[in-house]
Amino acid sequence: MNTATGIIKALNSGIKHLAVKRFTLRYPEEKLKFVGDGYQFDPSTGVGIAGYKGRHMLFHDHCTGCQLCSIACEGVAEAIAMVKVPEEYKHNKKAIMPQIDYGKCVFCGLCVDACPFYALYMTNDYELSSFSKEGLIYTPAQLQVKPYVSQDSEIKITDRGATHG
Amino acid sequence: MIKELPPGLALQKVDERIMTLNVGPQHPGSGHMRIIVQIDGDFIVACDPDPGYVHRGEEKMAEYRNYITNIPHLERPVIHDSCNVLYPYVLGVEELLGIEVPERAKYIRVIASELNRCVYTMYWLAIYGIFLGHSTMFMWPAGDRELLIDLLEKMTGARVTHSHFVPGGVRNDLPPNFEDVCLRQVNYFEKRIKEYAAIFYDNPILIARTANTGVLSREDAIRLGTTGSVLRASGVDYDLRKKEPYDVYEELDFQTNVLKEGDSYARSKIPWLDMMESCRIIRHALQKMPKSGSVRVKLKPNPKGGDDSVYKRVESGRGSLGCYIVSDKKPEPYRVKLSVGSFRNLIALPYLLKGEKLGNMPSVYWSLNYWPVEADR
Repeated sequence: MNTATGIIKALNSGIKHLAVKRFTLRYPEEKLKFVGDGYQFDPSTGVGIAGYKGRHMLFHDHCTGCQLCSIACEGVAEAIAMVKVPEEYKHNKKAIMPQIDYGKCVFCGLCVDACPFYALYMTNDYELSSFSKEGLIYTPAQLQVKPYVSQDSEIKITDRGATHG
Repeated sequence: MIKELPPGLALQKVDERIMTLNVGPQHPGSGHMRIIVQIDGDFIVACDPDPGYVHRGEEKMAEYRNYITNIPHLERPVIHDSCNVLYPYVLGVEELLGIEVPERAKYIRVIASELNRCVYTMYWLAIYGIFLGHSTMFMWPAGDRELLIDLLEKMTGARVTHSHFVPGGVRNDLPPNFEDVCLRQVNYFEKRIKEYAAIFYDNPILIARTANTGVLSREDAIRLGTTGSVLRASGVDYDLRKKEPYDVYEELDFQTNVLKEGDSYARSKIPWLDMMESCRIIRHALQKMPKSGSVRVKLKPNPKGGDDSVYKRVESGRGSLGCYIVSDKKPEPYRVKLSVGSFRNLIALPYLLKGEKLGNMPSVYWSLNYWPVEADR
């Protein structure tokens, strides 16, 4: 191939893309859809359930305050601290539950793997930014709230290229 | 007595013709690294790569954490290739603890590591494009990379640092309907990377810029101990997926790509050809994978190894990547040593740049498939 045809071919392959659909996620308006409701773990089989590793969700009616999540996090990020909760539960005599500092958390999900009582899961919520460092620390009461997410855009592949529909 | 200063800081005898130039350590490529070049006019007479600015002590940190909590730390050196960086460590720990991995988990690992290799190579290609001033080649790979990141996100739950491989298998099974989505997006991805030929690899301007620059002969490539795409671009057929098959690579149908030229053009073309082989491997693995079954062996909470040591290596996006683990009957490893491809390829840089023009330095440097953060660990 000589130089002139090579350059024309290169330009041509770029020009063809004027007719190809835009492959850009317009983020705040559109959000990507994830599989399932977030990463979960089944201690009876020892295998996780696929899902996005986002902000945690704590079930107060399952948590016994055993500190296994905190111990699992010790070697990774030291993001989990056990704090006192005002409520008293029959299964949680010490009345302590995890508090997670998202300034330190690396979202590896090893705390979820460590929980034997189905009390700690991860959700699809990843928009955690805050104006202060203290705002990143989520107390057990805040972790109990199921996040509201509206994520519906998926990659669609058509004859005219891929797009986020 | 005058204290001896490190290279680059020491006062040097002023020569009339030779000028010393510090390229970096801000960002000559991706990550902090300095190249000290001595130039005569526009030609490089000597070059001294100076890595070590992003040393994080990953190996020392691994001695204070147990075999499971090491996982998020040891994938940090190359976050774009995190499955492959973790692979030798996981294989080594499995041998130390004597774990047999389920068949389905092996296939999932191969698919994840091939997807990750493509993600890394696309990022590398984007930087290579912008180094040569080809901004289309920066935009296209950076955009098409999203197709595979989306697949990995569905599989593992995270976009870059997956923490997906564990001793005994993988953390979670594939989501429902994953095989169809994966096949569709990988096929489209392969169609897209074939389009790069006209605009980049067959482009006469690129060939004129990169062909016959930084030529590494076959003998030098072996003598300097280079690995991965650098070695294969110099005409040596050496791929650990073929030579020392790990997991299920020996059952899969693929070939290694070898080019004879050994110049910067050949070194940039090999990873692109490898991506097409990766697509073939993924398709074949999806076909051969057992449709159901266990993906993870249950381990004891704090597994302990025997009085033993193990060395495992895999083919990563940058070449051979080895992990040496010594255990002393404790839950923590006694020593973890990573032998990375980036550092071994960097040794060739002074030989390649001698006599080149300064303008060719970025393309030769980045064609070595060097990742500063991995080399410094």
